[in-house]
This record gives sequence, C-alpha cells and structure tokens, in this order.
Amino acid sequence: MSKFTKEMVQNYANKLLINLSDEENALVLEEFDVIDHNMELITKIPNIEMVEPMTHTLDDFTYELRSDVATPSPSIEEILQNCDKYEDREVVVPKVVGGD
Amino acid sequence: MNITKSIEELHTLLKNKEVTPDELVKESLLKTKEVQEKCNAFVTIIDNPRITEVTDNPLSGIPFGVKDNYSTKGILSTGSSNTLKDYVPIFTATAVEKLENAGAIMVNKTALDEFGMGGTGTTCATGVVKNPWDEKRMCAGSSAGSAAAVASGVYPFALGSDTGDSIRKPAAYCGIVGYKPTYGMISRYGLFPFASSLDHCGVLTRSVSDAAYVVDAMKGIDDKDQTTWDSKDIHLVDSLSGDIKGKKLFYIKELVNIDNYHHPSEMLKSHLENFQKTLDLVKNLGASVTEVSFDQSLLNALPSVYVCLSCAEATSNMSNLTGIIFGGRGVGNTPDEIMMDHRTKGFSPLIKRRFVIGSYILQKENQERYFNNAARVRRLIVDKMKDFFKSYDALIMPVGSGIAPYLDDDNNMIDNDEVRCLEEHLQIGNFGGFPSITIPSGFISNMPVGVNITGNCYDDENTLNIAYALESVMPYKNQIAKDDKNE
Amino acid sequence: MSKYKAVIGLEMHCELKSNSKVFSSAKNAYSDIPNSYVSPVDLGFPGILPTVNKESVREALMMALAFNCETPEYMYFDRKNYYYPDLPKGYQITQMHSPVGVNGKIVINLGDSEKEVLIHDIHLEEDTASLDHYSDATLINYNRAGVPLLELVTEPCLNSPEEAVAFLEYVRRCYQYCDVSDADTKMGQIRCDVNVSIMADGDSHLGTKVEIKNVNSFSNVYDTIAYEIARQTKLKDEGRYDEVEQETRRFDEETGTTIRMRSKVDAIDYKYFVEPNIPKYKISKDWLEEIKKSIPMLPRERKLKYINDYGLSLYDANIIIKDKDYANYFEECIQLGMDPKTVANYLTVQIIAYLNKEDITLKDFYLKPEYLKQIITEVNNGNISSKQAKEIFNKSLEEKKEPKTFITKDNAQISDAGELTKIITDILANNQEQIDAYHNGKSNLFDYFVGQVMKETRGKANPNIVKEILNDKLK
Repeated sequence: MSKFTKEMVQNYANKLLINLSDEENALVLEEFDVIDHNMELITKIPNIEMVEPMTHTLDDFTYELRSDVATPSPSIEEILQNCDKYEDREVVVPKVVGGD
Repeated sequence: MNITKSIEELHTLLKNKEVTPDELVKESLLKTKEVQEKCNAFVTIIDNPRITEVTDNPLSGIPFGVKDNYSTKGILSTGSSNTLKDYVPIFTATAVEKLENAGAIMVNKTALDEFGMGGTGTTCATGVVKNPWDEKRMCAGSSAGSAAAVASGVYPFALGSDTGDSIRKPAAYCGIVGYKPTYGMISRYGLFPFASSLDHCGVLTRSVSDAAYVVDAMKGIDDKDQTTWDSKDIHLVDSLSGDIKGKKLFYIKELVNIDNYHHPSEMLKSHLENFQKTLDLVKNLGASVTEVSFDQSLLNALPSVYVCLSCAEATSNMSNLTGIIFGGRGVGNTPDEIMMDHRTKGFSPLIKRRFVIGSYILQKENQERYFNNAARVRRLIVDKMKDFFKSYDALIMPVGSGIAPYLDDDNNMIDNDEVRCLEEHLQIGNFGGFPSITIPSGFISNMPVGVNITGNCYDDENTLNIAYALESVMPYKNQIAKDDKNE
Repeated sequence: MSKYKAVIGLEMHCELKSNSKVFSSAKNAYSDIPNSYVSPVDLGFPGILPTVNKESVREALMMALAFNCETPEYMYFDRKNYYYPDLPKGYQITQMHSPVGVNGKIVINLGDSEKEVLIHDIHLEEDTASLDHYSDATLINYNRAGVPLLELVTEPCLNSPEEAVAFLEYVRRCYQYCDVSDADTKMGQIRCDVNVSIMADGDSHLGTKVEIKNVNSFSNVYDTIAYEIARQTKLKDEGRYDEVEQETRRFDEETGTTIRMRSKVDAIDYKYFVEPNIPKYKISKDWLEEIKKSIPMLPRERKLKYINDYGLSLYDANIIIKDKDYANYFEECIQLGMDPKTVANYLTVQIIAYLNKEDITLKDFYLKPEYLKQIITEVNNGNISSKQAKEIFNKSLEEKKEPKTFITKDNAQISDAGELTKIITDILANNQEQIDAYHNGKSNLFDYFVGQVMKETRGKANPNIVKEILNDKLK
C-alpha cells in the first residue's frame, strides 16, 4: 500500500501553481513509490546521518565577493519587451488581495 | 563541402582565403535546413547572421550552434519550452558572448528536452529530435539538437549543457565528442538553470582537439557567476600531447563486469565487449587500467539521488516562469490564476511531474529523509571518487548500456532496471563537478557507441589528453553520420 | 496594565545603504521613476545568477559584531521559495542555515533601568519588488527588488509595547551610527514582524504565539502590540483562550486592529534550501578584525561616557545621542577643547531650536564646531557677554560669516575693573536716595544699579565684575 495519495499529489501541484491531469497524477504516484523505496535503502547506509550534506559542487572553493560598483540598468523598452501587460513603466497584474 | 572539416583545417582555409566566413555560413545554413528536415534538430535558424572577420583566433569566421537553453540577446531563446515560446532575451550568456568575441558565428539554436529535464530528445516543444544515423532512433538528450547537428556536419561544434549526462550521452549515441569541463570553468551566466549545483556548460564536437579549442575560448572567471574560477593556467589545446604512458585509469567493476548482470542482452554483451577492446587500446598506449570496486549500495542509490537533487533544485529554479514579466501572460482573475494558467499550459507533463517530486522532497517534513539524505550520498560518492583520484588519473567507462534506443521505446519514467546504474553513472561527473568527456568508440549494428573519461576537478588537461590519445588510435575522429538504412 | 505577562519577539527588516544591490550590480537608490534601477538579475530572467555584494556583507557583519553576535566561519545563503507577484525569481535569497550573526545581545535603557535583549540571529537578504494597488489592478515596480535587507530577529524576550519600541528606536540609531542605513521609516526602510503571546504569572510555558506581519512604523508596532495584548487578554479572561490561534495577522491602520491573514494549517512551507549558486564564503579573521575596529562607539556607550566623563546630565546626554550627527558634533567640539557642558548647552538649546526652525540637519548647519569655538572662547575670556554671544550666533548664521567677524573692539565687553569702578562711582554719586533705600532693606534695588551701569556702557559691562564692585561699594 502506497503512502502517497492522489490528493497529496494534487495538493503539492497546486502549491507549485500547476494543474495535473488524472493521468499525470497517477504517473507521479508510481514514481513516488520508486523513489521512496530507493530512499529507504539510503537510510540504511550505516551512519548516513553523520555525513554532512553536500550543498555545493566544489567544496575547496575560494572566491572574491563583488565590489560595490553600480552599473547602468537596461532601458525600460528592454525591460518590458517580453511583458504582455504593462502600463507606462510598470508591469500590470490582476489586483493582489491581502498577502504578505 | 568545407563545413564538415575540423576547426584547425577551417582556420587554415580561412587564413589562406581559400574560403570565406560568408561561404562557410552559407554551407552551414544549407546543412541546417537539410538536418532540420531530417532530424528536427533546431528551434531557430539564424538566416542572416553577422559575418565576422578572419583573425588569428582559430574560431574566427567559424559557424556554430547553440543549445536553446542559452540566453541570446535579440534571438528567440525558448529552452524548448512553451513557457518561453516567444521569449527574446535582453542579454547574452557569457559562454556564447566569449565565442562571439572570438569571432565565431552563431547560425542556429538547437532543440533540447524541455529545459534540459529529459534524456531522450523527445520532449522538446518543437517535437522529437531524430538520430542522424537512424531516424527511427533517438539522439538521447537533453542536448539532442546539438548532437544531431554536429554529427551531421552542420558545423564543427555546438554548445550543450550537462546536468546528468546531457552532453555526454547524446554524444555517444550520435558518434561524436561531448565534453563538460570542471564545474565553474565555464560561466553559467545566461544558461537557463535546471539544477544549479549539477549544471555544466560544455560542447559537442567531432574531435577532442575541436572541443579543446572551443572550451579554451569559453572558459574563464566571470564576475556574473561567483562559482567560476580562474583557469588562465589551463591551456587545453596546448596540452594535447597524445602521450599517456604511465597514466593510470580505472573502471568500476560492478557496472562493467558482465557477470554482474543476471540476464544480459546481446546488446549489453556487445557493448561491454566494445569497452574491453577500448581498454586494450588504452593499455597499448602505455597506460594502465585497473578494475576497482565501488560500494554497490552507493551505486544503487545513484539514480534516486540524482532525481531527488535535480528535481528539488529544478522546482525552485523554474519558479520564475510565471508569465508575469516575460513568457506570455496566462488567463485569470488573480495573480495566482494567471501564473497557474501559464505554468499548466506551458510545461510538458514530464517536467510537471518532476516539479511535484521536487517540491515533495523539499517539504519541511520530508527534507531530511529525501533531500538531505540525497545530498549526503552525493558526498559519499564524490569522496569515494576523490579517493580514487589520489591513485588514478581518470575513470574510464562505457556510455550507457548500448546503442540509441528506438524512439517508440521512449521511456521517461523513473523506474528500476538492472542496467539503470550503467545507464546513469555519468551523473557522478555532475555530483563532483568532474571534467568528463565522451568520445566515439565504435559501432554496434551500424549505430555508434561511446566511451567516457572522467578526471579529477581542475585536471581537465590530463583528462582531455587521455581522450585525445585514445581517439588517435581509433578511426572515429571527425566522422559524419551516415544513415545507411534510408539510402 | 494587563494581569498577564506579554511575551514579544520582533523581526526587524532594515534596508542597507550601498552603491549596488545585494545580489546584482543595479543601483541601490530610491527613484521616483519606476523600473529605472533594475538589472536582469532583479527581474529573474532565465539564466541570471546572484553575485554577493561585498559592501552589504561588510555592513551585515559590522552590525552582527556591534550586537555581540557570533559570526560563522563560512557564510552562505538559502532560498526561501514562494509564489508572489513581488518576487520575480519565485524565491528570495536569504540566510537560514548560516546567518552572519547568531546569539547576540543588545542592552537598551528604559528610563532609569536597563534591559538585555537577546538576538536570535541577524541575516542578510534581498528586498522584494513594490506593489502599487489600484481598484482594478496591481502595478509592479522592481526598483526595490534586490535592495539589501538586514533582518534582525530577537528572542521572545520583550514584555511591553514600550520596550519593543524602545528597542527598535535603539537599533535604528545603531544602524545610523554605523552608517549602514538611513533607517528612515517614512521611506519604508524599516519594516517589522511582531510576535505576541500572553501568559499568566503561574504559567510555565509560553502562550499561543500570534504573528503580525509587515508593520511599517514604530507607532504601528506599539499599537499592534497593545491591541494584541488586549485582544488576547480579553479572550483569556472570558475563558475563550482556545480562540487565540497560532496564526498570522496583519495590522489595519484605519481601525487600529489586527486582522487574520492565515492560520497555522495554511502556513506557507518555504522549502528553504541552500542557494547553490553562491559558494561558501570564508570570512577571514583579518577582515572581521578590520570591521570590528571600524565600528564607531554606539549611542549607549556614548551616553555613559558623556555622563561619567563629561559630567552631562542624563537629560542632555539623551538628547545628544538621539541623533548621530548631534553626537558627532558634540564630540568634535570636545576634541577642539571646548567645555562639554557649555557645548551641550548650546547644542541642546540654541542649535537644535535653530535646526528645527529652519528644518535642516546638522550637515547643513553653518556654524561648524570651529566656529562655535570662536564664540565660546570669547565668552570664556570675558570679552563678550552671553547676550552678545547670542547675537553673534544669530548674525553669523544669518550672514554665513565666521563669528569672529562680529567680535570687534566696539562690542568687546568691558571687563576692566578700574574703568568699571569709575563708572559705578559716578552712578552711585548721583543716586544717594536709592542707596539709602537699599540700605533700608529694598535689596532688589541692587538690580537697578546693575541696570544703570549697563545703560551707561550700552550693555558692554561684564556683569559679573559689575556685581562684584557694586557689592563692595554698597556694603
């Protein structure tokens, strides 16, 4: 019995602002089971919890932070050239209600 | 046709004025149209590119292709996704800019699995990319269009990107060279991200020296990408001596030994035989080859670790695709509705599924079990490799488990299969940021197969030179795809 | 006040000053023109990468050190993922795993008492775009997207709205002293999230925590907390404490109340993970040392110094440290050898009054410390009277000319005892009647004689000397 449900998958999809068809949803469920099975195996690797997760590709890396110099901005025409809805110099979206 | 020649040959012809950049571009565009018809390899064909001067730069005047997930100013850049079907960037990726500054001429944008999130070349918004050696077969992906174009002789090189094996696998299936240098050697600024900690820029060519020329021009520290490092002391072309006497190579027993497979197919047998013959050639060159054992539990974990990490990063990386500032506005009465409409219509089913997986993995309550554990196994695998690199110069492995599958076998499901690890071991190169290059190593059933060499970080010169030496004792350098079956 | 103890935690976001933004090289400045300071990075175009601004890191580290935080050996960033129209990338780059400072403390003064406020962490992140809401649509301006933000998170250790506001005022002042931010609430440079819970005296654990987001002025912080304490207290008193939910609310300025945004069940999972595009950055000991050395003395230390070393009153010291410019002006004057109390007097009375009247800041104030010194020196030497000093102070400001221009022989004070004795003798000789009255008990006639001397000298007589001589003569 899978610990994953259709509703769960739909909920995750909604939070990502995407809709899944029933067929797509079913495929995700199958894939979850495979991944979950394999991750179960990983948890059995001895002392796995002692390993520091690898978050960056090159560990031995040193670099300089960017010096604080401002560069010119693109023109407003360039900024908005790929935008379908704008008014004067600003991007327009349907009215935002509440929120952060 | 001159366009099928190597960079060095073309440079000589250009310098001697035996051919002009304009003529090369015309040849390349002619070929482009042919290959488009046959393989469906391109998203955009640039009919009137700006012709450059011939200079002492070996890339000047030479046409090239760019995978459509590189941002190119003023030229449609879709990532082969409907979310960006009309997107015309306002800036050019550093890698492309460097090639253009060297005088190379971009003539087309090549198709890929949507945003690089696929390994078949079948999930491009513009349709399936077909293998130039056999149109019924796939190119592999995601750099499918670039591989098909270079293998067909459209130009000497095309840019690719590689998150799991997206340059090196299609290179093998198309009988060409695919090279991704050490992470951070080429700037990723302007490369549409799939999984930032695994993404690499790189190139597809028909010879190791061409790959060296191109990466020599593309590499370098970039103030727009803080993961880049200073590689001014690395000179790839100059380091191709062909001498690999005394070099030590190793391969992973668990994946390559036929006895580890319960029911090996004839294809797998042939493929591993080809690999053993390739090893003989390496030994004849004076290098040693050692069979090493890699923890089987780590190898088994490899594909799932890759899925966890890449899907998680991808989910976040593609959160900018909302259709608000760019990408075509969705329909709806609230911001959430317009974003959802854009994303639901724009993404293909495959990558929507991967986003859901990635999002699940990153959920607070799941992160430890999935994402963090995957990142831990990543470290264990990379540490193991680094241990080997203390004793060896490079890992040599067959690419995949055989030749390019038929397109109707296309299977993008994440499943368990005996050859899965053999199919996906190139991901190790992405986990560690290792330099990794695939070169053609022969044919099975008239279809090309390849061998991969992966070295330690920053050791690109050594890695490339091993590939160069091996290439020189095989007859596949500069080969152009011939589709015998359709003639 | 409530019979319950309020437990308050603050998250204070403050925009930092710099030439460029925190992860892009677009200009970091306010502009009236929308979308004029933006780079492709701030717009989240495909393929962009963040590059960390050294100056922003320096400022963040400076405040971490100033607030007694531990700093990490390696600094890195995280992504906070959520969808909102003001967030172009779909995630905010912030610090969760390895902030620039943790476990700090700040001592603040509350009237006569002190309080130690514990700092959970202080971290660097990017601001979002700003949204302008209209009746039918919302407009997005990306100028603010990517502006460096320093977020300071306290432990839940404040207990009243007064404390919370005193703390915020103090931290704001520290930012100004360290010159990392103008910290101007009117410009929206400071925004706060507030956590409030209440507990009865005997309670062993904290009550239900309510979070109020995006409170954008200190007076609103005060009102928010006061309202929440009252709301929660009422529910508790009525036995309905279970109605206090762990939820997110917002402050409604019009009604002065807080309004529910979402409950805990709907809480957003931000799916934090490490930003792979910013490698771990090793913070060198040398750099930390250099930053530490460059931290100016903070207002509280200055206040103690003014009181203990310079003998100022608490009242004057408090006025002076309120503004970094006042404090710096004051200290410059001390450096020039002026008497602290005299300077404090000038500053807290005449100068501040003048600045307020003219509506200017000390930066635009003509009388630099060296000019003020010209006036004070002349007064101390007895060459001019305090009344004349005031006139010269005003004249100098009016005509933008050095005070010494107005200190001439003509208006110099008469301090010569011999000369004054002669004048006084003459005056007394003509006022025998008044002398008699004075001796018969009309002691206020003393001032009459001083007035006569001033009249005779057209105000130039040194009053102290005049009084001395008169006292002597009238014995």
